[in-house]
Amino acid sequence: MTTSETRKASGPGAPGSVVDARALARARRRASLARFWRSYRAHRGGLWGLGLLIVFAVVAVTAPLLAGADSQSVTDAEGGPLEGPSGRFPLGTDQFGRSVLALLVYGSRISLTVGLLAAFLCVAIGTVVGIVAGHFRGWYATVLMRITDWFLVMPTLVLAIALATVMSRSMWTVIIAIGVTTWPTTARLVRAQTLSVESRPYIERARALGGGHGHVMVRHVLPNVMPLVLAQTTMIISSAILTEATLAFLGLSDPTITSWGGMLQDAREAGAVSAGDWWYLAPPGIAIAAVALAFTLCGRAVESVLNPKLGVRS
Amino acid sequence: MNETRQQDQPDGKRHSPHRGARVLLAAGAAALALTAALATPLNPAPQQASAQDDGGKKVLTVAVSQSVDSLSPFLAQRLLTTSIHRMMYEFLTNYDPKDNHVIPGFATKWQASPDKLTWTYTIRSNSKWSDGVKATAKDAAFTFNKIMTDSAAATANGSFVTNFEKVTAPSDTKLVIKLKKPQATMTALDIPIVPEHIWKNVKDFSKFNNDKRFPVVGNGPFILTDYKTDQYVKLERNKDFWRKTGTPQFDEIVFKTYKDQDAAVAALRKGEVSFVAGSPALTPAQAASLKGVKNIKLNEGPGRRFYAIATNPGARTKDGTKFGDGNKALLDKRVRHALFEAVDTKTIVDKVFQGHAVQGEGYIPPRFSQYFWKPSASQKLSYDPQAAARLLDQAGYPLKNGKRVGKDGKPLNFRMLCHTTDPNDKAVGKYLKEWWGKLGIGLKLDCVNDVSVPWYRGQYDLAFDGWSVNPDPDFVLGIHTCAALPDKTGGESAATDNFICDKKYDDLYAKQLAEYDPAKRAGLVKQMESWLYDSGYMNIMAYPNAVEAYRTDQIKSIETMPTAAGNIYGQDGYWSWWSAVPASGSQGSGSGSSSGSSTGIVVGIVVAALVVIGGGAFVGVRRRRTADDRE
Repeated sequence: MTTSETRKASGPGAPGSVVDARALARARRRASLARFWRSYRAHRGGLWGLGLLIVFAVVAVTAPLLAGADSQSVTDAEGGPLEGPSGRFPLGTDQFGRSVLALLVYGSRISLTVGLLAAFLCVAIGTVVGIVAGHFRGWYATVLMRITDWFLVMPTLVLAIALATVMSRSMWTVIIAIGVTTWPTTARLVRAQTLSVESRPYIERARALGGGHGHVMVRHVLPNVMPLVLAQTTMIISSAILTEATLAFLGLSDPTITSWGGMLQDAREAGAVSAGDWWYLAPPGIAIAAVALAFTLCGRAVESVLNPKLGVRS
Repeated sequence: MNETRQQDQPDGKRHSPHRGARVLLAAGAAALALTAALATPLNPAPQQASAQDDGGKKVLTVAVSQSVDSLSPFLAQRLLTTSIHRMMYEFLTNYDPKDNHVIPGFATKWQASPDKLTWTYTIRSNSKWSDGVKATAKDAAFTFNKIMTDSAAATANGSFVTNFEKVTAPSDTKLVIKLKKPQATMTALDIPIVPEHIWKNVKDFSKFNNDKRFPVVGNGPFILTDYKTDQYVKLERNKDFWRKTGTPQFDEIVFKTYKDQDAAVAALRKGEVSFVAGSPALTPAQAASLKGVKNIKLNEGPGRRFYAIATNPGARTKDGTKFGDGNKALLDKRVRHALFEAVDTKTIVDKVFQGHAVQGEGYIPPRFSQYFWKPSASQKLSYDPQAAARLLDQAGYPLKNGKRVGKDGKPLNFRMLCHTTDPNDKAVGKYLKEWWGKLGIGLKLDCVNDVSVPWYRGQYDLAFDGWSVNPDPDFVLGIHTCAALPDKTGGESAATDNFICDKKYDDLYAKQLAEYDPAKRAGLVKQMESWLYDSGYMNIMAYPNAVEAYRTDQIKSIETMPTAAGNIYGQDGYWSWWSAVPASGSQGSGSGSSSGSSTGIVVGIVVAALVVIGGGAFVGVRRRRTADDRE
């Protein structure tokens, strides 16, 4: 049904004109991307954030080259326990004699992966719930929104801890725990935007032309809430990274994988805090803060570019 | 189970039924504790000073990490509470602090009948309950009879009395215990004797926690005067205690709860506490950082614990019903031996414990020289990965694409239970994962707050295990007998440690329990250890040392047990607190003695603050810019 509707909407034109239309759409997208980049470029904070992110991404991808493939191994560790910074170990060593710098490099992989996947999961749930609740009114939406409210008032961390405790310890558990506990804000945001989009005349027109629920939601509402979702995603990533670090610090992640939060937890358990071994404590903390800051800066820039309410046209 | 109180897992390991299945609660509590712990080192205001003249009172504050499970001696099983009961109540016998030999306690003399089945104890007549009532043999008889007749009262110490036929008190100074079979542990009955006139009114022993009315009536060297959950336990010196030689110099002992060990160490540096008992020990980094600090003395003694890898032999009930989902591959002794042959205990001692432990041999730690047993050269499973690989080949697990594959074509993967509360488990787990990974065996660490839940259900392949051993080894031996197995499937708590049940072992156990000759008994105990070693069910990796620290400007001297090289916290007796001497002029709660740690913390805070402020300014600037742009 949706497909026939779609075809009807796009019009039964000649094959040549379809190709032209596609080329046109591509050109339009390219132009809007360029326009987006131009206005994004005007945000210095956003550029800083982007630069920082690229650095972290490169580090994460090239971790085995940068740090050596076996630097996470405890049996092959070369240094002594909790050595201070030196030429050989620029950030000292952990209690197993592994280089903290190498661990930091490897930790970026987990932090970024978990942050991105959890944010994606969260935004995906939030968008679906938000659009559905905004599109279908009545008891259906009421039930959905009450569920959303219930999740909204639940303290995220406590819920995530509970989930991570009952499921087995792994990276995926953490991703799911963050994803299913942080979606309500996105859902509310998307629902509000959906309501405003749906009240516009062209939606009514689409309906009058026979557009069904699916068509309206996917073809008209989704593209219009997408910018908001994008901005929301970048913001959620930073909080997801922080939550991941918190859960790992609380010992709810897989203890055998290296993550920044997990490093802090290991440092605390080794007694590095009272021993004053700052080189083991400060780097992962700063790294977490830096990545979260980078995503926030990017998110804010994207938000102000895309959100018409901020009125930034530059 | 026998001598449950001896179990006293310093880190609150398994076998504490009260910990129950409150996984969520535990997680929540852990989170709270963590936030609290985080707040503490950064909180500059010291909450209290200790070992000071507090209105003329000399107070010794001990930082502990364990929570109180119960203050009822019928329920308490943790190291903290059993130690406190040592201070509050008298036991029939006590142990000498010098070398652990049995000395008089509530009983002054004891004698066994020629048939070894009747024991007569002479009870001292100079002991008085703190409410003025005289303590007599009737109180002891009441305590034992209660445990024998009321299963709720048998939770902690029931194992001592299973072999008792009848306990009577013919007079105030005479206690007679009739046994069904001879029992070698009759001079090591570690049961606190409670006052009959108070406890006869208790209706439900499973619910009564003895923590409502203060001071709690007792006849030990200290009287419990106050308790606040997860905050503190206060005990005051009992001036009427019968022992008059070397009476306590401190007026009050306070056990203060610090959920975070680093916070406790920071409190010690600041002088807020006088003593830090590690949980189970101070970490090597903490010990190193405290070494040489002015006014702080580090005490390290051979520990009472063993630290082992337990392998699931197939969980079952007393009647042989199998349950749980332990890996079948572990039923093959060769696989168990191969696993342990790939474990380098020297590396574990050197790297994880950083020398604060002794390499594992037999089941009982070398500290108890009488019972310590070592495998012979031919029997020993020393570190030899090649031999381990050969064993696995023989057992039918050839190496295919880097993985050991069984006959069913499935790769060999094990789960291992570990305690989130014990950092050593995780650290050793990392090594095991790599060593066994090289053999081609996969390992997944299941770190949980309360291992007893999956453990009692038999849902584990391997597990980290550790017990404190008492001068009398009966308890730690008894937990591997068939009699300790659970009655029902489905995870009910039982005395068993690792579902081991073997006839040869049980026969030896019965023999040693009935053997009154110490040398012969020790010989039997060593045979049991040898059997355990060969079985591969309990692979002892190390005996961790006790590592603890105290302030010398608050405690001038304190007795270790055994005196030569021993521990202070968690002794088999009240000797440490009994013997502690306050330092003169102990007001000077140390200041400025924590340079190292503060620097680190300060650096951390400054960096964090910079990041936050920097980020805030950044966002702020940008905000303003957009505001300008907005017009």
